[in-house]
Amino acid sequence: MTSKHWLLLVGTVVVAVLAGVAGGAVPMPLGEVWAALFGQGDATQVAIVRNLRLPRIALGLAVGAGLAVSGTALQATLRNPLAEPYLLGVSGGAAAGAVLAVTLGFASPLLLPIAAFVGAALAVLVVLLVARAVSGHADPRVLLMAGVVVGAFCTAAIMVGLATAPENSVRGALWWMMGSLGDAQWRSVRWVAAYVAFGIALLVLWARDVDVLALGEDAAASLGLPVERVTRRIYLAASLLAAATVAGAGLIGFVGLIVPAIARALGARNTREAIVASALAGAALVVFADLAARTVLRPAELPLGAVTALIGVPFFLWRLRGLK
Amino acid sequence: MIRFTEVRLRYPAAAALAVDGVSLDAMAGRITAVVGPNGSGKSTLVRALLGRMPIEAGTLTLDGAPLAAMDRRLVARRMAVVPQREEPVFPISVRDYIALGRHPHGGPFAGRSAEDRAAIANAIARADVGMFVDRTTEALSGGEWQRVRIARALAQGGAAIVLDEPTTFLDVAHEMAVFELLDALAREGQAILLVSHQLNLVARFADHIVLLHRGRVAADGPPGDVMRGEILERVYEWPLVVSRDPAVGAPVLVPLRGRGSR
Amino acid sequence: MSDLVRRNPFALRSASLLPERLAQHVRRTATGVAADGTMHVRRIAIGIALGGAMLVGAACAPAPAPVSGNVTVDDFGDTLRLAAPALRVVSLNPVTTELLFALGAGERLVGRTSWDLYPEAAKAVTDVGNGMGPNVEAVLGQRPDLVLLYASESNRLAVQQLRAAGVMTLTHRTDKIADLQRVIPIIAAALGTDAIGRVIADTVAASLAAVRALPRPADSLTAYWHIWDAPLLTIGGGSYLSELLDVAGAHNVFEDAALASPQVSMEEIARRDPDVVLAGPNGAERIRTSPNWQTVRAVREGRVLVIDTAIVGRPGIRMGEAARFLRRVLVDSLKR
Repeated sequence: MTSKHWLLLVGTVVVAVLAGVAGGAVPMPLGEVWAALFGQGDATQVAIVRNLRLPRIALGLAVGAGLAVSGTALQATLRNPLAEPYLLGVSGGAAAGAVLAVTLGFASPLLLPIAAFVGAALAVLVVLLVARAVSGHADPRVLLMAGVVVGAFCTAAIMVGLATAPENSVRGALWWMMGSLGDAQWRSVRWVAAYVAFGIALLVLWARDVDVLALGEDAAASLGLPVERVTRRIYLAASLLAAATVAGAGLIGFVGLIVPAIARALGARNTREAIVASALAGAALVVFADLAARTVLRPAELPLGAVTALIGVPFFLWRLRGLK
Repeated sequence: MIRFTEVRLRYPAAAALAVDGVSLDAMAGRITAVVGPNGSGKSTLVRALLGRMPIEAGTLTLDGAPLAAMDRRLVARRMAVVPQREEPVFPISVRDYIALGRHPHGGPFAGRSAEDRAAIANAIARADVGMFVDRTTEALSGGEWQRVRIARALAQGGAAIVLDEPTTFLDVAHEMAVFELLDALAREGQAILLVSHQLNLVARFADHIVLLHRGRVAADGPPGDVMRGEILERVYEWPLVVSRDPAVGAPVLVPLRGRGSR
Repeated sequence: MSDLVRRNPFALRSASLLPERLAQHVRRTATGVAADGTMHVRRIAIGIALGGAMLVGAACAPAPAPVSGNVTVDDFGDTLRLAAPALRVVSLNPVTTELLFALGAGERLVGRTSWDLYPEAAKAVTDVGNGMGPNVEAVLGQRPDLVLLYASESNRLAVQQLRAAGVMTLTHRTDKIADLQRVIPIIAAALGTDAIGRVIADTVAASLAAVRALPRPADSLTAYWHIWDAPLLTIGGGSYLSELLDVAGAHNVFEDAALASPQVSMEEIARRDPDVVLAGPNGAERIRTSPNWQTVRAVREGRVLVIDTAIVGRPGIRMGEAARFLRRVLVDSLKR
């Protein structure tokens, strides 16, 4: 990838952050925004900028980067340009975990993300076990099918949960599932950001292996790669990375699907470049989408997952046209 | 170099053995070809070399050392396999693809060492793919892609190359080009083990042919010994004759019309 | 005090003729007034009003909305035709359940929703499930001749099915104060208790007016009422609670929102800068401990007031009491 492209990506992230800080449900002149960043000016405005907008942007960067990198790794590992983390049980498991928590009454802001993460992790493991039971090893096609099956099961569990949960909590669970950066607080954003950074670093470390896997199982074996082991660990790392983003911000679809395509379109030559480019592009995309979500229909806030879908679907159709 | 000794291979949960007591020896400096009808176990042998089949009985050795006990990266540095199907799911430049052949040599962050660069350049030259190193793999024709894959195998730096059906889907010009390349490599000292159903070209270029039939060796030896009408007819279950082609002096298989047809 | 009552035999007699529940209510409303001597006058006034109403009701039959041959049209556009006052009633709305008991028709109630737990006597009535999208089979199993429903779109099908089975329905919105005033006489007529219905309607109106008449807690007191936090929901101008706040003397910062439960953003709340934030016990706890809520000045300055939603939840015959309670909470908060 040329340095011009890298500059473009970094520049886009910077613009996204600036726009995210300056824009919001409450229009603020730029000068006041700047002052508020440093703690000066009206106490409410300072609180809006520092306590509401900055953590949201930080969470958006982490979630966008995490989802995009997860998608990049999974598409290469599963040798399928249409793979995305949500297909492999992450979204179904997270939503099922969240709805279960709500039904049982553990819907606090602390417990809900944990329940979602545990649900996602369990679903990911079940998919892996199902794939191994069926085919004896982590065959990518079987993984995808097992992911669809587990996802369907989770959907059924969610529907049962929603039908039996107390009415108010149903609304809360549905809202959470539609994705939002609205609950961003520094104390939780810290954790998500650290987790995402660790996950991305791990995948960068394994990027070469992913390049080899992307050639095909036989070619990878010829090059001495322990195909089964590497597929499994990358699948787990990428899925758990996505699970962390779901725990932090609910279900935000399409990012893991379309951002890797953007990174490749910009000329990423190998998995390492694709990962870094995806992280930047995904971070910028989510921050922009969040800005749109909270300003288009102010003072109401659109669900973030809906905005990314609205962006993602046309992009996806456009890409499909270009596929042979 | 690569030696199979009474190897038995069975697919998981299969009733019958896919390979039942096969022995063969692919030595350096020659082309050893494994031929036989569909389902005779040819590709299964390659899977065993890739470490993707459990070896039920017998031994499989590389330079005398049992393959099963070796670290796969070490194996990859000594023996390269060009599998039947290989399609990078995302576009990759030919140069980067060939460079992946150095993967068994380096760590995750190893940059290209001088040794790596030399090996890659060497591979490109020997496979004669210099003119398309800057294209992406999707932009190659079938024959060009095959040569590039052989270049990748060469970049791995080993003395043995195994190819599984390398000329499927290639037209006659590209087929010949591949076989000539393999011949040249064998003359340079490589051990070439080749699985193919292209009997006539195998008869011309291989030094040693192993004919498989239902998992067992039906015949093995130089082309003249194996390319005989009775043996081939029995194995392939089709009426045929073997004649000698005056233009190139090699045995040629000529299939006849099937019984029951005019 | 007692000699005043004795001098007015009608007051005593009519008081004993009233269903116990209503008398209790009247007494409580009456004693809710500050003990500054206006108690006697109020009691007598109510006693005379009640006595007079009974006489008038007894003397002037038919009542203004006769049960036989009435052409009441409910909020779904359906016409109510009852040959005689309804004897077996299923109420699928907590508001109408409470109303039924107040009208003295509690023993005619043969079915209620799972949410109808007031008054105490309602708990003994058969639970027929949800009030929205109800189980029509369960309702029909109680063999009612009248079913009272809330006018939500999710009840359209149930109304069709009940009417097709030959059961009369009355479907009303009970969202706002005016809705209740409208509904009380209609339901009272269907039960043949018109006179009591008028009394109740008047009492409710009077109790609200009494709270409105009290001095405002402050010159201009703005409030944010927290309903839910994921998503952030509050009460809009189209809601009962907004009206209740108005009666109690405060102004809802989101009154300009037309919806009953508009979704808002934290930034917008901070910008509108309410003087106080009202919330239920769980919500108040979350607000106090959340860093995001510190953006709102009222939260920073500790003015988060806990409102027991069981008392103020929805319009009903205890609206005046609710308004009074709300006002007291607001007044107390200002004293701190």
